[in-house]
Amino acid sequence: MSLSSALETLANYRTHNTRASQDIVEKGRLLLKSNVASKMGDDAWAFLEQLALASVDIARYDVADECLRQLLAKFPESPRVDVLSGIRMEATEPPEVVLKFYDQLLEADSSNAAIYKRRISVLVRMGKTEQAVSELCEYLDTFYSDVEGWVELAELYSSCNQYTSALQALSHALLLAPQNPFYVLQFAETAYTAEDIPLAIKMFMLTIDIADRHASEESIPSGASVRAWYGVKLCCRALSERSSLSSPSDTPLPKNLNLLDELATERVLTAYSAATGKGERLDESLC
Amino acid sequence: MSSVRYTLSPRGYLKIFFHAAKHPHLPVNGVLLGRKLDSISVGNGTVEITDAIPLLHHWTSLSPMMEIGLDLVTRHASEQGLEVVGYYQACDRLDDSALAPVGERVAGKIREAFGDAVAFVIDGEKIGSEEHVALIPYLPQSSSSLSSWRPYTSTPSPFSSGSIFTLTTASGSASLPALAKTLVKDHKTHQAFCDFDDHLEDVSLGE
Repeated sequence: MSLSSALETLANYRTHNTRASQDIVEKGRLLLKSNVASKMGDDAWAFLEQLALASVDIARYDVADECLRQLLAKFPESPRVDVLSGIRMEATEPPEVVLKFYDQLLEADSSNAAIYKRRISVLVRMGKTEQAVSELCEYLDTFYSDVEGWVELAELYSSCNQYTSALQALSHALLLAPQNPFYVLQFAETAYTAEDIPLAIKMFMLTIDIADRHASEESIPSGASVRAWYGVKLCCRALSERSSLSSPSDTPLPKNLNLLDELATERVLTAYSAATGKGERLDESLC
Repeated sequence: MSSVRYTLSPRGYLKIFFHAAKHPHLPVNGVLLGRKLDSISVGNGTVEITDAIPLLHHWTSLSPMMEIGLDLVTRHASEQGLEVVGYYQACDRLDDSALAPVGERVAGKIREAFGDAVAFVIDGEKIGSEEHVALIPYLPQSSSSLSSWRPYTSTPSPFSSGSIFTLTTASGSASLPALAKTLVKDHKTHQAFCDFDDHLEDVSLGE
């Protein structure tokens, strides 16, 4: 593997936020050794941050420490490097020590959103879900526009079976990012789990609407819309099995459920018609 | 307690292991396929777990895709002459080896159709070990369908010799955890591995 193609792959991972830690460390170590970083210009710092995170992820603390050393030498007071140091501490220090470190940073500068989020993630990892939820709510009061924060809150609620609260949190995410089909999809699946089937079916269809907004009628469903069509199908079946139907959100049912069910079936089948069977590949290599 | 014995095939174990290894920062879950062998010599018979089907890594607390996955798997199993005999999950936290509330519900649901259902939770502390099987078996406490599930703690400990839980391998159970670790660390086999969530993103990917 040449250095330039390794650099390219890593830059690509950064753009797409891909968590391919094993690969990043493997390629990154080569680059670190051959000291390419000094010739990369300003990209070097983003690379060192990426490599540090990935090394912590797969417990190559020696590599992470080397990255941190270079970053600290260049940016001694940077809040971004502080966050990275915190993450490095989380890997090997007891959670109480890390929380104290974060508290000190927040005392010095209470506007560092990333530190609040690290604090909350440490609480989640300690199993203190209740405290994490209340701190996250407090954080979102200040940093309302943090979509990821709202989604995380919804997930915390869902993990404790608080699906109605999860829906409320997600509705903030939908307000902030109305064009993202994945948040709508998560909303739909949460509504289904909360047994609000009419709301679920509406949101599954909205997902398809957003995900396929540039698609033509003949196009083959892919990505989020396959999942959503499956969801529509599931909702139709749930509706046909249930006689009494409640919707806590008072969402009206779509007319012509049967036609919708047929369309969902057709769409799911179309998605498969284009698929080529790569399925048994792993099976063969395994046994 | 039931004296049903459980055997897990290498194929099943590796698939569970890869699934957990591919998403170390997320909870994952899936189901176990197998069949019950009645036998006079070994008490109440043996549940032979031959395969594992990985299902979710995205929103493991939400039910729709779990329902669809279970449906498809149940049908697939009966075509193969097998049954859905259990459930497995891994947590995102290393020290958390509790069967999540959702897991209890799914396992309870599986038990409605298969009485001797079992649940496995990945033991994060042991997943890097070369000797120990990184699975904690859970069994229901009572015969009620809403029964809570408890980790199996009787001696001999699960997957050690003489336990009601065993791995079926020709070369002795000690080598399989080592093999799993090598495949993940050196061959990255788990990266080629897909679950039902991946399949929903791209239907050309098989599980």
